[in-house]
Amino acid sequence: MTREQDPTVGQTETLVVEAREAQRHRKVGQLERVGDHLKREWQLYVMLIPTILWLLVFLYKPMYGLQIAFKDYSIFRGVAGSPWIGLEHFQTLFGNDQFIRALKNTIIISFYGLIFGFPMPIILALMFNEILVQTFKKTAQTIVYLPHFVSSVIIAGIVITAFSPSAGIVNTFLGWFGMESIYFLTKPEWFRPIFVGTGIWQEAGFQSIVYLAAIAGVSPTLYESAVVDGASRWQMMWKITVPSILPTIIIMLIIRIGNMLEVSFEMIILLYQPATYSTADVVNTFIYRQGIQGGQYDLAAAAGLFNAVVAFVLVMTANTISKRYSRTSLW
Amino acid sequence: MSGVRLEGIVKAYGEVRVVHGIDLEVQEKEFVVLVGPSGCGKSTTLRMIAGLEEISGGDLTIDGRHVNRVAPKDRDVAMVFQNYALYPHLNVAENIAFGLRIRKESKEHIAASVEEVGTILGLTPYLERRPADLSGGQRQRVAMGRAIVRRPKVFLFDEPLSNLDAKLRTQMRAEIKRLHKRLGVTSIYVTHDQVEAMTLADRIVVMHDGRIEQVGTPMELFLNPANTFVAGFLGSPPMNMVKATIVAGEHGPVAEFNGERLALQAIPSLQDAVGKQVTLGIRPEFVKVAPEGSTDRVTIDVDLIETLGSEALIHGSLMGEPFVVRTETVGQMSVLDGISGITIAPHLIRVFDAKTGEALPGQVLAQ
Repeated sequence: MTREQDPTVGQTETLVVEAREAQRHRKVGQLERVGDHLKREWQLYVMLIPTILWLLVFLYKPMYGLQIAFKDYSIFRGVAGSPWIGLEHFQTLFGNDQFIRALKNTIIISFYGLIFGFPMPIILALMFNEILVQTFKKTAQTIVYLPHFVSSVIIAGIVITAFSPSAGIVNTFLGWFGMESIYFLTKPEWFRPIFVGTGIWQEAGFQSIVYLAAIAGVSPTLYESAVVDGASRWQMMWKITVPSILPTIIIMLIIRIGNMLEVSFEMIILLYQPATYSTADVVNTFIYRQGIQGGQYDLAAAAGLFNAVVAFVLVMTANTISKRYSRTSLW
Repeated sequence: MSGVRLEGIVKAYGEVRVVHGIDLEVQEKEFVVLVGPSGCGKSTTLRMIAGLEEISGGDLTIDGRHVNRVAPKDRDVAMVFQNYALYPHLNVAENIAFGLRIRKESKEHIAASVEEVGTILGLTPYLERRPADLSGGQRQRVAMGRAIVRRPKVFLFDEPLSNLDAKLRTQMRAEIKRLHKRLGVTSIYVTHDQVEAMTLADRIVVMHDGRIEQVGTPMELFLNPANTFVAGFLGSPPMNMVKATIVAGEHGPVAEFNGERLALQAIPSLQDAVGKQVTLGIRPEFVKVAPEGSTDRVTIDVDLIETLGSEALIHGSLMGEPFVVRTETVGQMSVLDGISGITIAPHLIRVFDAKTGEALPGQVLAQ
C-alpha cells in the first residue's frame, strides 16, 4: 500500500501536529496564568525578594567557588585562573586516613545523634503534653528550652567544668562511690557519648516546640471521644497523639537525615583535642583544619562538596521512601 | 431501666454558673432533644452526662446508678460529636472498632461487630477507606457507627448534623430516626436547630440561660408554649408577638390594641386579667387571609410576599409590630396580591403576661 493509499499515515501526522499545537497552547495558557498571578499577587512576590537575594548571595553565588574542588587552586591565580585537575583532590581525600577517619566519625556521631537525639524532643513534647499543672509545665519547659539560648562556648565551658577530673560534678559524684576520677574529655571512648549528650541537653527542649505545636493541632474531640470509648492516657498518647503528629515526625526526620553529616562543628572544635581526634574528628573539623588552618582550600572544597552530595542523596532517598510508605514528604 | 435522671444539676466555672440546677428524667428508649440558642448550656449538660465535664452540683443517675464521680468509660454511654471526631490515621473499620479494641474485646467479636454496624449504616463498601476519603454524610455515619458498635445504654449526640449541608442534614435526620427505632437505645440529642428538634424528638427540652424553659412533646411545645421564649424559639417562622391590653367585652374579655379588638378564648384567668398588659402569641400558620368586608377582619400593612411554591410568607406589620402570615398559594395568588387584612381564630391565640412572658394559665390547645 502506498503512502497516498494509506489514509492512516496522514491521520497520524495530523494528530501529532494537533498534539503539538495543543501543547503550545497549553504552555501559552500556563504563561498567561503565571503572568496573571504575578499581576494579582505582586505584593507577595515583592516580599519574597529579600529571601531570594539572600539565597543568591549566600548560597548560590558561593557555588561558583565549588569548582576549586576540581582545580589546583592558588589564591594568586584566583578561581578562574587555577588549572583543572579533575578528581585528583577526591582521590587524595579517599587515600587520606584522616579523612576516612573523619568520615567514619561523622557517620557514627550522626547515627548516635539520630538514635538518641531525634526521639528525645518527641518524648519531651509528649511528656509536656501530659503535664496538667500549668505552672509546673511552664517551669519545666523554660528549664529545658534555656540551654538552646546559651552560647555554645558557655555550654562547652559548663561541660568541661562538669567533667573536670579535679572539681567536676561528675567526678565528685563518682568519688562518693569510691571510684577514681576519669579525665573524660581526654578519653576517646567518652567523647561521643559526651558530645551527643551535650547536643541533646542543648537542643532537645527547643526542638520539642515543633512537636508541641503539632500536638496542639490535634482536635481535642479526638481525645474526648477516646475518653468516652474508655481509653487511658497512655492509650491516647500511643493511639491518638503519636499517629497524629507522625507527619511532622517524618518531615523532621527527613530534614534531620539531610543534615546528618553536618554535626555541630563548633561544639566539636570546643570540646575535642588531639587526644580524642580518633573519635572526635569529623568531616567539618577536617575541612576546617585542612582548609583554613592548612591553607588547602581546594582539598577542603572537595571534602565539603562530597559532604553536600552525600547529604543531597540522603535527603532524596529519605523523601522518596517516606513518600512511598507514609504519604508524607517534603516535596 | 436505661434511663437518665438529672436532679438539680449545676455547672459552675469558678463563680460563673452556666447551668442552674436542671431537673430532667429521660425514660428508657426515649429520644430527648435539648434545644436552645448558643450558650444556653445544652452542650455543657450533655458533656456532664458523658462525664467530659465535672458536675458542680446535683445528682446524675444513669440506669439507676449514681454516676457523678464515675469515669466516662464506666458510664456505658457513647457520644457522637459535631465534627465527627474520627481518627484520620485509621480507616473506617478501625475507627468503628476503636472502642472495642480499647476494651480488649476478642478479634472475632470486633470483626463481627464492625461488619454488622457496616451493614446497618451502609458503610460496608467504605470500610477500608480513611476519613479523608469520605463525604460529610459518610463521616457522620462512621461516627454513629463508632457509637453504636459498643451497644451502650445511652447515646449522646452533640449537634451531629450541623456540619452538613441542608439536603444531607435532612437525609441524616431520617437515618438517625430510623436507627433509633431499630436499636431502641435511650438517646439525648443536642441541637440549636428547632426543625431537627421537632422532627427527631419524642420529647423536647427547651433551654435558655442554663435553665430549662419547658419540656414536652414537639406538638405540646408548638401549640402550648409555656412562655414567649419557647413560643419564639420553636416554629419557623416564629410565633408573632403583639402587645395588647385585656379589656372587658360584651361576651367576655377581649384583647385591644390600637383601637382594634380581638376576641380571645374563654379561659377563667382572663377574667382576672382585665386591664392587664399582655402579649398575644399568634402562629403564622394559624392566620387566614381575609377578603375585604369579612367579619373579624384585622388590618395589616404588607411589606413583602415570599412565595415558596405551595405556600407563601406574607411579611408585614400589625399595629407597628412585625407580623408574618404563612398561607397556601394554590388558588390564592389573586387574593394574596391585594391582601390587607387577616382573621385569627380566638382559640388559636396564646396569651402571655407582658411582664413575665409566662403564658396565662388555663390555655390548652388540643393536639
